[in-house]
Formats: sequence, C-alpha cells, structure tokens
Amino acid sequence: MILVTLRVMALGLWRDRAGLVLVFVLPPLVFVVFASVFGAGISGRLDIRAEVFDQADSVDSHRLIDGLRYQLGGRLIRAPNVAALEDAIKSGRADAGLVLAGNMAEAETPVTVLVHPGRKAAGELLTAQIDAAAAQDLPELMLRREIAHLTPILKLTLDQDRHLINSPLDFLPSPPFTTERILPGGDPLQIYYGGAVSILFLMFTAMQGAMTLIDERRAGLRLRLGLSAGGVAPLLGGRMLWLTVLGVLQAFVLFLVADFAYDVPLLKNLAAWSVTAACAAAASGGIALGLAAACRTREQAQPVSTFIFLVLAAVGGSMAPRFLMPETLQQLGWLTPHAWVIDAYQTVLWRGRVNTTVVQAWIVLSGFAVVGFAAALLIEGRRQL
Amino acid sequence: MAAEQTEVVLRLSQVTRRYGNQIALDQVALELAAGEVYALIGRNGAGKSTLAKAAIGALALDSGSVRILGVDPSNDLKVRRAVGIAPQEVALYPHLTIAENLDAFAALAGLSRRERVAAVASAMDDAVCTQRADERLDHLSGGWQRRANLAAAIVHRPRLLVLDEPTEGLDVETRLVLHRLIARLRAARTAILLISHNTEDVALLADRLGVMEAGRLIAEGRPAELMATAFDGRTELVIRLSTTTPLVEPFLRARGLAPSDGGLCWSGNVANAFAQAHAIEIELRRVEVELRELAVRPPGLDALIGWATGLAPA
Repeated sequence: MILVTLRVMALGLWRDRAGLVLVFVLPPLVFVVFASVFGAGISGRLDIRAEVFDQADSVDSHRLIDGLRYQLGGRLIRAPNVAALEDAIKSGRADAGLVLAGNMAEAETPVTVLVHPGRKAAGELLTAQIDAAAAQDLPELMLRREIAHLTPILKLTLDQDRHLINSPLDFLPSPPFTTERILPGGDPLQIYYGGAVSILFLMFTAMQGAMTLIDERRAGLRLRLGLSAGGVAPLLGGRMLWLTVLGVLQAFVLFLVADFAYDVPLLKNLAAWSVTAACAAAASGGIALGLAAACRTREQAQPVSTFIFLVLAAVGGSMAPRFLMPETLQQLGWLTPHAWVIDAYQTVLWRGRVNTTVVQAWIVLSGFAVVGFAAALLIEGRRQL
Repeated sequence: MAAEQTEVVLRLSQVTRRYGNQIALDQVALELAAGEVYALIGRNGAGKSTLAKAAIGALALDSGSVRILGVDPSNDLKVRRAVGIAPQEVALYPHLTIAENLDAFAALAGLSRRERVAAVASAMDDAVCTQRADERLDHLSGGWQRRANLAAAIVHRPRLLVLDEPTEGLDVETRLVLHRLIARLRAARTAILLISHNTEDVALLADRLGVMEAGRLIAEGRPAELMATAFDGRTELVIRLSTTTPLVEPFLRARGLAPSDGGLCWSGNVANAFAQAHAIEIELRRVEVELRELAVRPPGLDALIGWATGLAPA
C-alpha cells in the first residue's frame, strides 16, 4: 500500500513539468543567486565599479590607472571631469570614484577617493585596491615618497638621497609581509546558503505534496482509499516516504550544483550529508502532512502554510545569515528546523565531521518529523469522510 | 433464486448518526442480500449518501451497528476489501491513465501483480473503457471518466457495491453500459446499494427500494408492492389549462388535483382516472376554459417519494 502511494505520487510529479521545474530547477537557481551575492561579499570577492578623473595626466598617473584597472578586473572607466565623476557616483553608475591630481611623487595626497555616504564600504574597498596597485605597479614612486618623508628624519645626505631616488625603474617590490593559504573545504557562507535555500524549498515542496491529501478528500478519493486494508496509516506513510525521498533528491541536486559551482565538498562527505538531508526532508514532510491534515481546504492550507514557512525561514536563518541576527533571534531560531538543518550542513560539509552538534540536529529534525506525522495520523484518523 | 438470495451481505441495525443537533441517520435498519439491488431514493439532504458511508464503515456511529458479511468493518479493516464504491464524484487520480488508476486500486485492495493484470482487463471490459485504457483521466471526457469510476469500484470484484448517483450527468450510451454492468454483477451475486435521483433507473434496476426522509427510512419494499400500497390502483391525472379562473378551482380540488405552474397545471393520483378526466372535460367546457393537455399515466417514483414523505397526496 505504501508502494502504491509512492508510485502514484511519483507519477504525479513526473507528469507535471511545471512541478519538476519548481522542485529541481528553481532551488539551485535561487541558491546560485544567494551564494553569488552574499557568499562573494564575505569571501572578499566583492566587485565594485569605479570611475577615475585623471587631472594629473602624467606617466605615473597613467601607470596607476593601468594597475588599478587590472586590480578591478576592468571595472574602471574614465570620467571627463570631477562633476561627471560626482554625478556617476550620485546616480549609482559607479560605487566610488577617484581623482588623481598633482605630482604623484611629491604631492601630499595625490589621490582622492570620492564615495557616496550610503556606500562607505565601497570607498574602503577602492582605497585598499589603490594601495595594492600602487605597491605592486609603482614601487619606485612609493619609494621616492618614502624617501622624501624619511630624509629629514634619517638626515640623509644629498648624495644618498639622489642615489636612492635614481634607483633603476625595474626596482622590485619587497616580498609581502603576509601571505594567504586557502585550506581545502567549501566556502562556509555558500554552504550556509545551500542549507538555507534547501530547507526553505523543502518545506514548500513538501506542502505541495502533502496537499494532495486535501485533493483526495475533495475528490471523494479518500472514501475509496479508506476501503483499502490498513486504513489511513499506510496512506500517510507512503506519502511521508515519498516526501522524504523527494526532499533528499531536491537537496542533492542543489548541493551538486554547489559542488560544481563553488567547490562545496558534497561528494567527499556524502554519507553524513545523506543522513542530514534525509532528516531535513522527513522533518519537512512531517510538518507539511500535519498542516495538510489540519486544514480542510487548499484555500485554507495555502496561506496558512506560506505564513508559517516564511516566518520559520526568517527566524531560522534561511533569508539572512543567523550570525547577523541579534542574540535573542538567534536563540529563537533553534525552535525552527531551519537553524538545525543549516547548522548540520555547515558542520558536515565545511568542517567535514560528524560531531555532537550534528547528531543533535539529526535527533531534533527526526523529532519534527515524528511529531508532524503523528499529528497527521491523529487528525486524519479522526476525520469523518 | 429466492433461496440463493438469503445470504445477507450488508446489515444495518438501528444506525444513528448526529452532526451536532442535526440528525443525519435516525434508527436506520436495512438488510441487503447477495445478488440484490437495493435502491435508496429520497429528496436532497434526506441522508442517502450518509447512509452509504455508514454502510461501508466509513462513518463513526452514535449508536447501532453495521455488519458486512457478518463483520464490523470499523473493527476489521480487511472486510472493507469486500466493498466497492463509486462515489458521486469521479474519485480517481487525474494524472494517471485509466489502467494505472485501476491497477493502483486493485493493489490497494490487496491483489497480487498477476491477479491485477486480469482484474484490470476484466473491469475495463465490464465498464466498456478498454479502448481508452492508456489515456490520462484528465484528458478524457466526463462520460469516460464515469466509466473509469465504475471500473475502479469493481476491479477487485467486491461482494458489496455502493453506487452513489452513478448516472448523474451520463449520456444514454454510458447509462446503458451501467445497466448492463449492474445486471452482470447481480448475476454474479454482488449485493448492490444504489443511490439515485433518477427514478427511471431505479424503476428498471432495483429489486427493492427504500425511501429516505430526514435521516429515516420511511418506506421500504419491492417497487411494485410499494406502488400498490401507495396508490392502491390510482393513476396520475395531469391537465393543463389555457387560462386560470377561480371557477374551476373548487371542482378540480374536489377531484383530488393540486395546482402548479401558477394554476395552469393540475395533477394528482386519482381512482377511475378516465372517468374523472371525462367529467373534468365537461366541466371545463361548461365554464368555457380551454383544455390544452390531458394525460393519464401510472404514478412514478417521484410520486412515491411525495406519498412517502407526505408532501404530495397519494
């Protein structure tokens, strides 16, 4: 009986093209958008657009612009004057701008960064990029500025000063003070959004599947199904199994995209990931079945479930990272399956381990599944056809 | 035949069910034997469909009992496999084909894979829907969906079949399919509980009928016996006038006729209908009222319902 229900549900989805897209295409798409917006920002790959007005128009200023253009990946364009540059920033065409004025080696501050008050972070990013470009591409100019600054302090003679300034142009920059080594493992924020988007869509997918209970009631099918031996338990059991299998498949497609696009180590941690995905899908299935059983009509179930799922998603961290939330909201988040799912995925995929936190998450998620399913059994069992 | 029909398939004893203050079934007692077609008739809201749910064990009762083949279906779920139902709605999965739907319901009834192949083919054959077997239900017309609905009710060869308004919205051809199917099932000793508004179908198909009103079974018996009890040889007289006038009302009422259609139509079940008709014709001529139509016919089941419920005089 469970297998019959499973087959009926699977054929229902297989023959519903729009449903297939919503289940398997939309979640990875939303994930890619979230991951590329939020993931990139935290990882230090935030791209800014800048404009430059080169009032100095010197060899040095040209070299700085070339270096900066390389740093910004080509997202630097020239402005004809300061007014045009300011207008570009005000209108949002550029995140920040810079004006190069005076002798680059001698002027006290030859570079001025212009920034909109609403985008101060863009100014800081551009400043850092300018410093990096100057150190990388104009080392002798930076040296001349340092010498000019140090001469009165070190009391250099004129000869020493001239000797240093006339150093060859192929002067090599000193080796960097710090270096960076990226360890293997996915980007935590991209893993975060993998879990966040996955549980968000799992809930809605499960609800769509669970609402077939209401359709069956409305179409008189429950009367006919009620005649089958076993009663309501196998009917709900088959549905629960289907929602769990479907949920795991949906999450797998999403994380597979994450693996290919962002090196999220899904396949390396497949076993632990599978248990987490199954627990998350079962929790969604249980909650959705409980809700569908409690509602009399689709018209009632649709808004009620949307309201509940969106609130859970907001509090549980599916919409904005939980670490950005106030402490109270973070604590409240533990009442939602979302927070547990996200936490478990992060530990399994980012840290690559199954620890107490993960096991705790599995238990809590299974609890959501059991309670939801039991509620559905109780309500449907008592319901008069 | 009478000896064969002694096996009681369905027995309802003093079945009562309330919804709040409203009584849906009131002390209903009914027996249905193997190979018997029992028709339930009555007005909308009389409790016919509720009784059908009670009969298959899908309704919690306030009091009374239901036995299918001697077993309480609410305690023993296995006996429900002996029941088939064709609800008023097309109770099938719209995204599945007819064959897939039947296979699913046969599997739910506990048939093995091998049994299902034969059962599905046989049910489609009986309901004359084999030629559209591989088409999705939501791609079929209402008539074909109805046939599939019937086929799903009989795919597991139930001992008790409940048909709730099976001819509602059916074309003539599909109605004939249903009539032939019921005849075959009756011959195979399937007990059939038929709920219908279509008095023509009931008159043709039912061995016994029961009239329901306000949750009670107020009359029961073989159709001919019930008609004889209700009308005692009287026949229905219907006349239609060209105009209304107060002059005709007293003598039409005196002859047991009741008005409808704003006084233009008068009808009633009367003794010696032809003599009465002749007398009325003479009277109308005398008061110079034109007689548009005059009909004498045996009373139908609608009249029987009217008699049983006391809403129309016999």
